[in-house]
Amino acid sequence: MKRVKAVLGDDPEIAFAERRYKMIGGILEECLTKTETGMTFSDKLDKVLLNKYLGIPIFLILVWALFQFSIEASGVFMVIIETALVTVGAFFGTLLEGNEMATSLVQDGIFGGFAFILPFLAPIFLMFLGIAWLEDSGYFARAAFVMDKLLRKLGVHGKTFIPMMLGFGCNIPAIMACRSIEGEKDRMISILSNPYISCGARLPVYVLFAAAFFPGFEGSVIFSMYMLGLAVAIFTAWLLRKTLFKGEPEPFIMELPIYRVPTLRESVLHMWERGVVFLKKAGTWLFLGAIILWFMSAFGPAGYLGIDPDVSVSYTGILGGLIQPIFAPLGFDWRLGAALIFAFLAKEIAVESLGIIFAVEGDIAIGGALAGVFSPATAAAFMIFILLYIPCVAAVGTIKSETNSWKWTLFSVVYSIIIAYVIAAIAFALLSAIGLGVIGGA
Amino acid sequence: METKLSDLKSGNIATVTKVAGSGAVKRRIADMGITPGARIEMIRNAPLGDPIEFKVRGYLLTLRRSEAEDVMVSTEVQR
Amino acid sequence: MTVRVALIGNPNVGKSVIFNNLVPGARQHVGNWPGKTVEKKTGKYRYKGEEYELVDLPGCYSLTARAVDELVSRTYILEEKPDVVVDIVDASNVERNLYLTLLLMELETNIVVALNQMDVAKSKGYTIRTEALASRLGVPVVETIATQKVGMEKLKAAIENAAKSPKPASLTYPSDIEDLIEKLVTILSADASLVTHHPARWLAIKLIERDKEVLEMIQETTLDSKIEEVFA
Ligand SMILES: Nc1nc2c(ncn2[C@@H]2O[C@H](COP(=O)(O)OP(=O)(O)OP(=O)(O)O)[C@@H](O)[C@H]2O)c(=O)[nH]1
Ligand SMILES: [Mg+2]
Repeated sequence: MKRVKAVLGDDPEIAFAERRYKMIGGILEECLTKTETGMTFSDKLDKVLLNKYLGIPIFLILVWALFQFSIEASGVFMVIIETALVTVGAFFGTLLEGNEMATSLVQDGIFGGFAFILPFLAPIFLMFLGIAWLEDSGYFARAAFVMDKLLRKLGVHGKTFIPMMLGFGCNIPAIMACRSIEGEKDRMISILSNPYISCGARLPVYVLFAAAFFPGFEGSVIFSMYMLGLAVAIFTAWLLRKTLFKGEPEPFIMELPIYRVPTLRESVLHMWERGVVFLKKAGTWLFLGAIILWFMSAFGPAGYLGIDPDVSVSYTGILGGLIQPIFAPLGFDWRLGAALIFAFLAKEIAVESLGIIFAVEGDIAIGGALAGVFSPATAAAFMIFILLYIPCVAAVGTIKSETNSWKWTLFSVVYSIIIAYVIAAIAFALLSAIGLGVIGGA
Repeated sequence: METKLSDLKSGNIATVTKVAGSGAVKRRIADMGITPGARIEMIRNAPLGDPIEFKVRGYLLTLRRSEAEDVMVSTEVQR
Repeated sequence: MTVRVALIGNPNVGKSVIFNNLVPGARQHVGNWPGKTVEKKTGKYRYKGEEYELVDLPGCYSLTARAVDELVSRTYILEEKPDVVVDIVDASNVERNLYLTLLLMELETNIVVALNQMDVAKSKGYTIRTEALASRLGVPVVETIATQKVGMEKLKAAIENAAKSPKPASLTYPSDIEDLIEKLVTILSADASLVTHHPARWLAIKLIERDKEVLEMIQETTLDSKIEEVFA
């Protein structure tokens, strides 16, 4: 009787795979002819993009270009949207003349808050466009290939880089993308480190604060926020690997797809699919939110507060005041405290709520108003806190569904608040030490 | 001459002779087309020296050095 | 009755583009990197008055799952047993792609092979004799270029046909292996409940390959010792 060993040797599994490939070879001998075509476009591009000396610089330039593109190119769109909104706002202003409360709702709530956030959607959309470009071109897998060694030294699998790049758009699809990461430990590490990657929703906060506090250095300030997020993500992954998910990263066995030139249609479609989520959010949440936030800011236990009141006695003020003491060492007042509470729903709400608070107080030029109340060190601490603390309700939900564990979800939330506070405090201390701790300084 | 897959230099072409290593990884490597008899070309190292890019069965596959060490190849058979 | 159709194939071959082409209004995300789709997604289309339920699955290289997304595909194909399996093959990378085709054929289900990315294959200098391939495999093969919507009608027609056809046989392996398979099939057929759930031939092949899950299945039966004889 013939035995498996006699036919397939000591390693029947591999031998069987070999037989299958042999069979395929036989079939293709009959069915496939290859004519030599020389170096393909993909091969030539790889010679440059994966070059020993150019590979890493090109990678860094591409990432930098992604941010530069979304921030610089969006300027025009932001101005267009702003101008349009100002026109509409003025029209409504005249329409409602006479009714004080209605004017305040529309001017401060809808236009001061909701319309205030709309122009910031432009950089978010362009960020999506840039990511769609990288994604469709075939560069993603290369980024993982280029970065693997560096990441592995920190105990992180190179493939983790793909969800990280996606996270620059939105952490939710990014956390879902961790499913293609092999090995349960590696997958958990990828999920739990992803929220620190700065998503599009944080961008409005940076754009607003960088322009108000660091004029002339907006680009570098925003870029360093992204780098900080990336660094914290990698640090978190390293920490998890060293403590809770000990072991070696899974093997790296990855196919490199060919490069494709993304068509404009495809990329725009891609951007739209992702961006539409933000538009829907803007249409419902942010709009409703504006009304609620206006109400909370214009009313207090004492009732309607009147024109240009002291908002600190409003509901918003009281709420912000509750957590303000914790943040006092960083120079946060009740306004920033309230913004942090609301921004848990979605980070861009931080901008919306600040817009409303200042508008209700009578300030239209939010940037200037901010600079009049906070020091650059506080501004930086606030940006850092927004970057690092709890991603947003939806992302927390995704962490729950992907880890299938309340324990890890809670861990993620608590850890994020601690790390946000610690790093914000360090930044505040450092910036104060170099004289940026005074209001009006920079 | 028999060597490890990880020892090939850029442009070297070889034939796989043995796939060793631990169970699941070995299986995946074989599923991806690295089986005894397969012709494999080393394309390049990643800029930091690891992983390594190969061409096998007409497509590009990247493996870490540690995975490639478990694959033995013969550099003689060059058609 | 609804015909259940699964789209399966290696990662990044164009499954989601084909899904979007076939299902009206579908918007599966597409991207040029392996592992884009991580969840199965269902959609419906009608063809010649008949309703089809199409499932877009995450890409996989084999049916031995290593990641959560691949497991989704394996489980779907093995447990849900769709009426027709559409195997999307990247024509510019046929050699490795056909490996999964062989694995799928071992399951003895109705298969349609879509040779996608024919444009890329051509630019790579590949000429594929589709008819010869179909007759060698014994399953219908349709050429497609998903991004240009080329071949979609033919694909729908082939799916319709396959749903009505008897299940094709698995490919025949070299006779020494076939002997082993045959021996195991005889032993396995003694356990009726085992072989109604999975094809006996497939179980035999997986046993030879020492597939963990199948080995566990066998351990629950009384066939254990007889099978071990073949391996001793
Ligand atoms: N040139 C060309 N490109 C194609 C064709 N079909 C798909 N593509 C491209 O191939 C890439 C992958 O397509 P997807 O549909 O996302 O592939 P998939 O099989 O669903 O991939 P996973 O979800 O990762 O398993 C995309 O960039 C598509 O635009 C084709 O026929 N020709
Ligand atoms: Mg897909």
